[in-house]
Amino acid sequence: MTAAVALPVPVLTTARLILRGPEERDFEAVAAFGTSERSRWVGGPFNRFESWGRFLSGFGHWALRGFGYWTLEERATGRVAGRVGIIAHDGWEEPELGWHLFDGFEGQGLALEAAQAARAHAAQAMGLDGVISYIDPANTRSARLAQRLGARVERDGFLLGQPMQVWRHPRLNEARA
Amino acid sequence: MRPALTGIPALTTARLVLRAPEAADGDAYAAFLMGARSVHAGGPLERADAWRAFAQFIGHWVLRGFGSYIMTLRATGQAVGLAGAWFPLGRPERELGWVIWSAEHEGKGLAREAALATRAHAYGVLGWETAVSYIHPDNTRSQSLARRLGCRLDRDAVRPTPGTADVWRHPDPVALAAGCPEANA
Repeated sequence: MTAAVALPVPVLTTARLILRGPEERDFEAVAAFGTSERSRWVGGPFNRFESWGRFLSGFGHWALRGFGYWTLEERATGRVAGRVGIIAHDGWEEPELGWHLFDGFEGQGLALEAAQAARAHAAQAMGLDGVISYIDPANTRSARLAQRLGARVERDGFLLGQPMQVWRHPRLNEARA
Repeated sequence: MRPALTGIPALTTARLVLRAPEAADGDAYAAFLMGARSVHAGGPLERADAWRAFAQFIGHWVLRGFGSYIMTLRATGQAVGLAGAWFPLGRPERELGWVIWSAEHEGKGLAREAALATRAHAYGVLGWETAVSYIHPDNTRSQSLARRLGCRLDRDAVRPTPGTADVWRHPDPVALAAGCPEANA
Protein backbone atom coordinates (compact mmCIF):
# COMPACT_ATOMS: atom_id res chain seq x y z
CA MET A 1 0.00 0.00 0.00
CA THR A 2 1.26 3.44 -0.78
CA ALA A 3 0.97 6.31 1.63
CA ALA A 4 -2.68 7.20 2.19
CA VAL A 5 -1.92 10.86 2.70
CA ALA A 6 0.28 11.97 -0.15
CA LEU A 7 3.66 13.38 0.79
CA PRO A 8 5.30 15.69 -1.73
CA VAL A 9 8.39 13.54 -2.06
CA PRO A 10 10.18 14.17 -5.35
CA VAL A 11 11.23 11.09 -7.31
CA LEU A 12 14.85 11.18 -8.46
CA THR A 13 16.32 8.81 -11.01
CA THR A 14 19.95 7.83 -11.42
CA ALA A 15 21.67 5.34 -13.70
CA ARG A 16 20.77 2.36 -11.54
CA LEU A 17 18.39 3.66 -8.89
CA ILE A 18 15.07 5.30 -8.29
CA LEU A 19 14.98 7.50 -5.19
CA ARG A 20 11.37 7.64 -4.00
CA GLY A 21 9.43 8.33 -0.84
CA PRO A 22 9.04 5.63 1.80
CA GLU A 23 6.25 3.11 1.29
CA GLU A 24 4.84 0.53 3.65
CA ARG A 25 6.21 -2.30 1.51
CA ASP A 26 9.74 -1.14 2.40
CA PHE A 27 9.31 -2.15 6.01
CA GLU A 28 10.60 -5.73 5.87
CA ALA A 29 13.87 -4.55 4.34
CA VAL A 30 14.10 -1.78 6.94
CA ALA A 31 13.41 -4.21 9.78
CA ALA A 32 16.07 -6.61 8.45
CA PHE A 33 18.56 -3.76 8.29
CA GLY A 34 17.69 -2.86 11.89
CA THR A 35 18.84 -6.27 13.09
CA SER A 36 21.91 -6.33 10.86
CA GLU A 37 25.40 -5.58 12.03
CA ARG A 38 25.65 -2.38 10.01
CA SER A 39 22.75 -0.74 11.82
CA ARG A 40 25.15 0.05 14.66
CA TRP A 41 26.31 3.04 12.63
CA VAL A 42 22.83 4.54 12.89
CA GLY A 43 22.18 3.78 16.55
CA GLY A 44 21.10 0.15 16.18
CA PRO A 45 20.52 -2.67 16.46
CA PHE A 46 16.76 -2.19 16.59
CA ASN A 47 14.13 -4.80 17.27
CA ARG A 48 11.11 -5.00 15.00
CA PHE A 49 9.04 -2.59 17.06
CA GLU A 50 11.83 -0.07 17.33
CA SER A 51 12.34 -0.31 13.59
CA TRP A 52 8.64 0.24 13.01
CA GLY A 53 8.65 3.36 15.14
CA ARG A 54 11.65 4.76 13.34
CA PHE A 55 10.16 3.80 9.98
CA LEU A 56 6.92 5.59 10.87
CA SER A 57 8.81 8.66 12.03
CA GLY A 58 10.43 8.77 8.60
CA PHE A 59 7.05 9.52 7.03
CA GLY A 60 6.44 12.15 9.66
CA HIS A 61 9.85 13.65 9.02
CA TRP A 62 8.94 14.37 5.40
CA ALA A 63 5.66 15.91 6.52
CA LEU A 64 7.26 18.01 9.25
CA ARG A 65 10.48 19.09 7.57
CA GLY A 66 9.75 18.91 3.88
CA PHE A 67 12.75 16.66 3.38
CA GLY A 68 13.79 13.22 4.56
CA TYR A 69 15.09 9.84 3.56
CA TRP A 70 14.42 8.49 0.13
CA THR A 71 14.07 4.76 -0.38
CA LEU A 72 16.55 3.45 -2.95
CA GLU A 73 14.90 1.11 -5.39
CA GLU A 74 17.11 -0.79 -7.80
CA ARG A 75 15.77 0.01 -11.26
CA ALA A 76 16.67 -3.35 -12.77
CA THR A 77 14.98 -5.48 -10.11
CA GLY A 78 12.67 -3.24 -8.08
CA ARG A 79 14.41 -4.39 -4.93
CA VAL A 80 14.91 -1.98 -2.05
CA ALA A 81 18.62 -1.33 -1.74
CA GLY A 82 18.85 1.17 1.11
CA ARG A 83 18.09 4.73 2.07
CA VAL A 84 19.69 8.07 1.40
CA GLY A 85 18.52 11.52 2.24
CA ILE A 86 18.57 14.60 4.39
CA ILE A 87 17.48 14.25 7.99
CA ALA A 88 17.20 16.61 10.92
CA HIS A 89 15.45 14.96 13.80
CA ASP A 90 15.43 16.82 17.08
CA GLY A 91 19.00 16.94 18.40
CA TRP A 92 20.59 17.47 14.98
CA GLU A 93 22.60 20.70 14.75
CA GLU A 94 21.93 20.98 11.02
CA PRO A 95 20.24 18.93 8.33
CA GLU A 96 22.44 15.95 7.57
CA LEU A 97 23.07 13.98 4.40
CA GLY A 98 22.88 10.35 5.48
CA TRP A 99 23.03 7.00 3.74
CA HIS A 100 22.85 3.31 4.48
CA LEU A 101 22.64 0.30 2.23
CA PHE A 102 20.89 -2.94 3.03
CA ASP A 103 22.64 -6.30 3.02
CA GLY A 104 23.80 -7.36 -0.40
CA PHE A 105 23.89 -3.93 -2.01
CA GLU A 106 27.18 -2.56 -0.75
CA GLY A 107 30.39 -2.37 -2.77
CA GLN A 108 28.73 -1.37 -6.05
CA GLY A 109 28.86 2.40 -5.74
CA LEU A 110 25.12 2.66 -5.15
CA ALA A 111 25.46 4.85 -2.07
CA LEU A 112 27.71 7.25 -3.96
CA GLU A 113 25.30 7.39 -6.87
CA ALA A 114 22.32 8.01 -4.60
CA ALA A 115 24.08 10.47 -2.31
CA GLN A 116 25.18 12.60 -5.27
CA ALA A 117 21.61 12.74 -6.55
CA ALA A 118 20.13 13.48 -3.13
CA ARG A 119 22.73 16.13 -2.33
CA ALA A 120 22.25 17.87 -5.66
CA HIS A 121 18.48 17.89 -5.30
CA ALA A 122 18.68 19.18 -1.73
CA ALA A 123 20.95 21.99 -2.82
CA GLN A 124 18.99 22.94 -5.93
CA ALA A 125 15.41 22.45 -4.79
CA MET A 126 15.32 22.41 -1.00
CA GLY A 127 17.65 25.25 -0.08
CA LEU A 128 19.94 22.80 1.70
CA ASP A 129 23.39 23.47 0.27
CA GLY A 130 26.71 22.63 1.89
CA VAL A 131 25.15 20.19 4.36
CA ILE A 132 26.94 18.05 6.91
CA SER A 133 27.23 14.32 7.50
CA TYR A 134 27.69 12.88 10.97
CA ILE A 135 30.03 9.90 10.74
CA ASP A 136 31.23 7.70 13.57
CA PRO A 137 35.05 7.89 13.58
CA ALA A 138 35.18 4.08 13.40
CA ASN A 139 32.92 3.91 10.35
CA THR A 140 35.67 3.88 7.77
CA ARG A 141 33.42 2.85 4.87
CA SER A 142 31.21 5.87 5.29
CA ALA A 143 34.23 8.12 5.79
CA ARG A 144 35.63 6.90 2.48
CA LEU A 145 32.35 7.61 0.77
CA ALA A 146 32.28 11.09 2.28
CA GLN A 147 35.76 11.68 0.85
CA ARG A 148 34.66 10.51 -2.57
CA LEU A 149 31.76 12.93 -2.32
CA GLY A 150 34.24 15.75 -1.77
CA ALA A 151 33.32 16.29 1.88
CA ARG A 152 35.92 17.26 4.49
CA VAL A 153 36.08 16.74 8.24
CA GLU A 154 35.13 20.08 9.75
CA ARG A 155 35.28 19.24 13.45
CA ASP A 156 34.70 16.62 16.10
CA GLY A 157 31.21 16.73 17.53
CA PHE A 158 28.42 14.77 19.09
CA LEU A 159 25.09 13.46 17.89
CA LEU A 160 22.64 12.39 20.60
CA GLY A 161 25.54 12.00 22.99
CA GLN A 162 27.66 9.89 20.66
CA PRO A 163 31.00 11.21 19.43
CA MET A 164 30.89 11.90 15.71
CA GLN A 165 33.03 13.53 13.10
CA VAL A 166 31.17 16.33 11.37
CA TRP A 167 31.90 16.26 7.66
CA ARG A 168 31.04 19.27 5.53
CA HIS A 169 29.94 18.78 1.96
CA PRO A 170 30.94 21.19 -0.77
CA ARG A 171 28.34 23.70 -1.83
CA LEU A 172 26.82 23.28 -5.25
CA ASN A 173 29.14 25.74 -6.96
CA GLU A 174 32.15 24.18 -5.24
CA ALA A 175 31.08 20.69 -6.19
CA ARG A 176 31.10 21.61 -9.86
CA ALA A 177 34.74 22.63 -9.67
CA MET B 1 8.65 23.74 1.63
CA ARG B 2 6.91 22.84 4.89
CA PRO B 3 4.01 20.62 3.97
CA ALA B 4 1.29 19.94 6.49
CA LEU B 5 -1.18 17.11 6.52
CA THR B 6 -3.82 18.46 4.20
CA GLY B 7 -7.34 17.39 3.38
CA ILE B 8 -8.10 15.96 6.81
CA PRO B 9 -11.44 17.35 8.04
CA ALA B 10 -11.59 18.42 11.66
CA LEU B 11 -14.19 16.98 14.02
CA THR B 12 -16.07 19.52 16.08
CA THR B 13 -17.85 18.88 19.38
CA ALA B 14 -19.49 21.18 21.91
CA ARG B 15 -16.20 22.29 23.41
CA LEU B 16 -13.52 20.83 21.16
CA VAL B 17 -12.08 20.94 17.70
CA LEU B 18 -10.25 17.71 16.87
CA ARG B 19 -7.88 18.48 14.04
CA ALA B 20 -4.96 16.89 12.24
CA PRO B 21 -1.56 17.42 13.87
CA GLU B 22 0.61 20.31 12.73
CA ALA B 23 4.30 20.98 13.11
CA ALA B 24 3.51 23.62 15.75
CA ASP B 25 2.04 20.90 18.00
CA GLY B 26 5.43 19.23 18.35
CA ASP B 27 6.60 21.08 21.44
CA ALA B 28 3.43 20.42 23.44
CA TYR B 29 3.33 16.81 22.29
CA ALA B 30 6.98 16.29 23.26
CA ALA B 31 6.54 18.08 26.60
CA PHE B 32 3.79 15.65 27.54
CA LEU B 33 5.91 12.64 26.63
CA MET B 34 8.82 14.00 28.66
CA GLY B 35 6.64 14.37 31.75
CA ALA B 36 5.46 11.91 34.39
CA ARG B 37 1.88 11.84 33.07
CA SER B 38 3.05 9.92 30.00
CA VAL B 39 3.68 6.73 31.98
CA HIS B 40 0.73 4.96 30.31
CA ALA B 41 1.52 6.43 26.90
CA GLY B 42 5.01 5.05 26.40
CA GLY B 43 6.90 7.68 28.39
CA PRO B 44 8.57 9.43 29.96
CA LEU B 45 11.02 9.93 27.12
CA GLU B 46 14.11 11.99 26.43
CA ARG B 47 13.50 14.97 24.19
CA ALA B 48 15.01 13.36 21.07
CA ASP B 49 12.80 10.30 21.48
CA ALA B 50 9.76 12.43 22.25
CA TRP B 51 10.28 14.35 19.01
CA ARG B 52 10.60 11.09 17.09
CA ALA B 53 7.37 9.95 18.69
CA PHE B 54 5.69 13.08 17.35
CA ALA B 55 7.09 12.32 13.92
CA GLN B 56 5.62 8.82 14.27
CA PHE B 57 2.27 10.31 15.25
CA ILE B 58 2.31 12.32 12.02
CA GLY B 59 3.66 9.38 10.05
CA HIS B 60 0.77 7.21 11.16
CA TRP B 61 -1.62 9.60 9.40
CA VAL B 62 0.48 9.45 6.26
CA LEU B 63 0.74 5.69 6.20
CA ARG B 64 -2.74 4.70 7.35
CA GLY B 65 -4.84 7.60 6.11
CA PHE B 66 -6.37 7.86 9.57
CA GLY B 67 -4.90 8.66 12.92
CA SER B 68 -5.18 10.43 16.18
CA TYR B 69 -6.34 14.04 16.33
CA ILE B 70 -4.97 16.91 18.31
CA MET B 71 -7.63 17.90 20.82
CA THR B 72 -8.01 21.68 20.93
CA LEU B 73 -10.35 23.89 22.93
CA ARG B 74 -12.86 25.62 20.70
CA ALA B 75 -12.81 28.70 22.91
CA THR B 76 -9.08 29.36 22.74
CA GLY B 77 -7.54 26.98 20.21
CA GLN B 78 -5.24 25.63 22.90
CA ALA B 79 -4.06 22.06 22.27
CA VAL B 80 -4.79 19.99 25.36
CA GLY B 81 -4.36 16.39 24.28
CA LEU B 82 -5.10 13.88 21.58
CA ALA B 83 -7.77 11.40 20.67
CA GLY B 84 -8.51 9.05 17.86
CA ALA B 85 -7.53 6.01 15.89
CA TRP B 86 -4.22 4.27 16.31
CA PHE B 87 -3.03 1.15 14.51
CA PRO B 88 0.73 0.65 14.65
CA LEU B 89 2.70 -2.55 14.31
CA GLY B 90 1.90 -5.00 17.09
CA ARG B 91 -1.68 -3.91 17.58
CA PRO B 92 -3.99 -6.82 16.79
CA GLU B 93 -6.85 -4.39 16.13
CA ARG B 94 -7.48 -0.77 15.39
CA GLU B 95 -7.65 1.21 18.57
CA LEU B 96 -9.37 4.33 19.81
CA GLY B 97 -7.17 6.22 22.24
CA TRP B 98 -7.23 9.43 24.23
CA VAL B 99 -4.76 11.46 26.26
CA ILE B 100 -5.24 14.67 28.23
CA TRP B 101 -1.83 16.29 28.48
CA SER B 102 -2.12 18.19 31.75
CA ALA B 103 -4.05 17.84 35.00
CA GLU B 104 -5.72 21.22 34.59
CA HIS B 105 -7.80 19.87 31.71
CA GLU B 106 -8.78 16.63 33.42
CA GLY B 107 -12.07 15.96 35.09
CA LYS B 108 -14.13 18.06 32.69
CA GLY B 109 -15.32 15.32 30.39
CA LEU B 110 -13.15 16.48 27.50
CA ALA B 111 -11.65 13.04 26.83
CA ARG B 112 -15.13 11.55 26.79
CA GLU B 113 -16.38 14.19 24.40
CA ALA B 114 -13.42 13.53 22.12
CA ALA B 115 -13.72 9.75 22.36
CA LEU B 116 -17.40 9.85 21.41
CA ALA B 117 -16.63 12.01 18.38
CA THR B 118 -13.73 9.90 17.18
CA ARG B 119 -15.69 6.68 17.71
CA ALA B 120 -18.61 8.04 15.73
CA HIS B 121 -16.15 9.00 12.99
CA ALA B 122 -14.47 5.59 13.04
CA TYR B 123 -17.82 3.82 12.69
CA GLY B 124 -19.61 6.28 10.46
CA VAL B 125 -16.87 7.49 8.13
CA LEU B 126 -14.00 5.00 8.35
CA GLY B 127 -16.40 2.08 8.33
CA TRP B 128 -15.05 0.22 11.35
CA GLU B 129 -17.28 -2.56 12.60
CA THR B 130 -15.65 -2.79 16.00
CA ALA B 131 -13.13 -0.88 18.07
CA VAL B 132 -10.98 -1.50 21.11
CA SER B 133 -9.04 0.62 23.54
CA TYR B 134 -5.83 -0.80 25.00
CA ILE B 135 -5.57 0.34 28.60
CA HIS B 136 -2.90 -0.41 31.16
CA PRO B 137 -4.25 -2.29 34.19
CA ASP B 138 -3.08 0.54 36.49
CA ASN B 139 -4.70 3.30 34.44
CA THR B 140 -7.91 3.57 36.43
CA ARG B 141 -8.96 6.92 34.97
CA SER B 142 -8.97 5.55 31.44
CA GLN B 143 -10.73 2.40 32.60
CA SER B 144 -13.54 4.42 34.10
CA LEU B 145 -13.88 6.46 30.93
CA ALA B 146 -13.96 3.24 28.92
CA ARG B 147 -16.84 2.01 31.10
CA ARG B 148 -18.71 5.27 30.61
CA LEU B 149 -18.26 4.80 26.87
CA GLY B 150 -19.96 1.43 27.16
CA CYS B 151 -16.76 -0.63 26.79
CA ARG B 152 -16.31 -4.04 28.35
CA LEU B 153 -13.14 -5.83 29.25
CA ASP B 154 -12.60 -8.38 26.47
CA ARG B 155 -10.61 -11.21 28.00
CA ASP B 156 -10.69 -13.30 24.83
CA ALA B 157 -9.17 -10.68 22.56
CA VAL B 158 -5.52 -10.84 21.57
CA ARG B 159 -3.45 -8.41 23.61
CA PRO B 160 -1.09 -5.99 21.91
CA THR B 161 2.65 -6.53 21.99
CA PRO B 162 4.82 -5.29 23.46
CA GLY B 163 3.11 -4.28 26.66
CA THR B 164 0.65 -5.39 29.28
CA ALA B 165 -2.49 -3.53 28.25
CA ASP B 166 -5.98 -4.90 28.74
CA VAL B 167 -8.36 -4.97 25.80
CA TRP B 168 -11.52 -2.90 26.28
CA ARG B 169 -14.13 -3.55 23.61
CA HIS B 170 -16.39 -0.70 22.52
CA PRO B 171 -20.03 -1.31 21.71
CA ASP B 172 -20.23 -1.92 17.97
CA PRO B 173 -22.18 0.34 15.61
CA VAL B 174 -25.23 -1.93 15.75
CA ALA B 175 -25.33 -1.86 19.54
CA LEU B 176 -24.94 1.90 19.56
CA ALA B 177 -27.73 2.34 17.03
CA ALA B 178 -29.97 0.03 19.06
CA GLY B 179 -29.60 2.33 22.00
CA CYS B 180 -26.95 2.16 24.63
CA PRO B 181 -27.69 5.42 26.34
CA GLU B 182 -24.74 5.52 28.66
CA ALA B 183 -22.47 5.08 25.66
CA ASN B 184 -24.06 7.79 23.53
CA ALA B 185 -24.94 10.57 25.90
